[in-house]
Amino acid sequence: MNLIKIKRQSWNIGIVIIALGLGTWQINRLPVFGSYEVRTILLGILPIALLSMGQAIIIIGGGINLAIGAEAVLINCLAARFMANKSFGVAIVLTLALLFVSVCVGALTGLIISRSKIADIIVTLATSFILIGFAMYIQPSPGGGMNLTLAHLISGKGSAFLPPLIVLILPLLIIWIPLYRSRMGIAMFAIGSNKDAAFLSGVNVDLTRIKLYATGGLFAGISGIVLTAITLSGSPFASISNTATLNSVAGAVLGGVALSGGVGGLTGPALAALILYFIPTILLNYGIDPAYSQIITGALTIVVVLAGGLIRNRGKKK
Amino acid sequence: MSNILKKVQSRFSVAMLSLWGILFSLFVVTGLVDHYFFTISSIGVTLQLAVPLGLLAAGQTICMLTGGIDLSIAMIATGAAFIVSIKSSSGLGLAILYATLYCILIGTINGLAVGLFGMNPLIMTLGMNAVLIGVFTVGITTFLKGSSTMPDIIIKLSSGSIIDPISWPFLLWIFFGGLIIFLLSKTGLGRLIYAVGDNATAARLAGVRVWKVQLAAYIICALLGGLAGLMIGGQSGAVAMSLADSLVLPSVAAVVIGGTSIMGGIGSYTGSIMGALILTVLSYLLATINSSEAVKQMIYGFIVLTLAWTYSKLTEKS
Repeated sequence: MNLIKIKRQSWNIGIVIIALGLGTWQINRLPVFGSYEVRTILLGILPIALLSMGQAIIIIGGGINLAIGAEAVLINCLAARFMANKSFGVAIVLTLALLFVSVCVGALTGLIISRSKIADIIVTLATSFILIGFAMYIQPSPGGGMNLTLAHLISGKGSAFLPPLIVLILPLLIIWIPLYRSRMGIAMFAIGSNKDAAFLSGVNVDLTRIKLYATGGLFAGISGIVLTAITLSGSPFASISNTATLNSVAGAVLGGVALSGGVGGLTGPALAALILYFIPTILLNYGIDPAYSQIITGALTIVVVLAGGLIRNRGKKK
Repeated sequence: MSNILKKVQSRFSVAMLSLWGILFSLFVVTGLVDHYFFTISSIGVTLQLAVPLGLLAAGQTICMLTGGIDLSIAMIATGAAFIVSIKSSSGLGLAILYATLYCILIGTINGLAVGLFGMNPLIMTLGMNAVLIGVFTVGITTFLKGSSTMPDIIIKLSSGSIIDPISWPFLLWIFFGGLIIFLLSKTGLGRLIYAVGDNATAARLAGVRVWKVQLAAYIICALLGGLAGLMIGGQSGAVAMSLADSLVLPSVAAVVIGGTSIMGGIGSYTGSIMGALILTVLSYLLATINSSEAVKQMIYGFIVLTLAWTYSKLTEKS
């Protein structure tokens, strides 16, 4: 029994070991390592970890959302535009409203995919244009702001690393675990593994997919809010959203989610963000030109997906 | 058997008819908004502007017919244009040779990764795009330093006209377009491309080297992308990093609107040509309305989605 449990977690354990190794390497290079540095690392991984989790939910359900980065950028711009110079209470209400908006955007994406029967890739490529266009309309140039009390509540201040840690773990506890244990969780894995079989077994495929995209949207929304709290501004750039989308897919795959659907969890992607953060940081520490970070991210994604696929195929043959 | 064939044929003619309808109504609307649009020279310019998109869509069609997609096509195009503009000081022939080798190299890497290593084409080419952006960002300050203006002959070939509505790029498009249509419908490789896209396992069991077909598809796609890059560079006169960025979604959209299935095996380049023309007239219309970049992006994404949706509904019913 215990062995089975360990085997099921082997992917996550592998990620933790790699992340710990890279982390030690990075920490050894830092002159001091304290709670301030912990907070820096957490802030570095937080937006991408949240996006990876959102992407993971959608990929497990057999889809893919190429607009997830654009969703986060849109929420980032909306938050920065409307939360600047607002009181704490108003900012809280706005945060909730924006999270609702992101859920709606996700649900709408899922609805379009279900109704139109066009491939996920096409629909989300098109919606990514719409969302980025909307973000540019809301916030034509980088700027805006956020209520500082709320920002500190989300991203911490100085060496307070607990707030970002809570923001990272809370969605896992209050969204993923109930989802995983619910009927919808089973339906999610079912439609990801075999949509037709799931349909024939009585799963409402369309509704499940809409719910999954809505949940993915919620994660993108949280990521957007966190991004605003960290940067205290909104940036309406397609390049940011493209990089974020790419990273979210890399994080999901590195976290043990199979691109073919039906396999994986959310703890893996959350941990995988650590690796995605450490590798470029370490390489850049060695005095490599920052322009190379694009190359590193791209190459890393390819290697991760390639290695992930190969490892999983080997596991299947056994 | 002949019954099925008839059904497929009638479905295609309905689809083709609706594409003509969409193109015609867009054409009329644009003409009503901008009276200058109905002149011969204006139509010539529109046809000329459609050429790069048409060539990118040709590459994309071939990739999609095998069940793949190439999102690195923007940087393949931009890279080829960069190489030609910078190396042209040491002879145009050599510059074009370098650019061709570059395209073949990237196409080979993409094709091998997808065909031999079973990489997800979406992730592979997205990652490749990020890597290439990085390489060229570093490159233009180090090993690719030099003039960013295109050689005169390429400017002439990509924007010079012979007799008013007929321009050099349009002639090139007819030549290469004819070649692609011939390749897809009359040659063995063309049949194999459809076979692999329709059912890769069946094709493999029938003795097809599936990876070789995919490799060929990605190399042809990269070469067409490079050619499109030279056209775009020639039309704008100089090369910039974001040269072909805005044409990636349109190249995918043109193919999808043209009725090629993203799952592979179904479709034709004729449809993609119609898609490219529709999207070019559409962007002319959006430019005439003189809206901001944000609004343009939104409308564009929205219309691509609507067209793809309408098209899939139209073909579904008949």
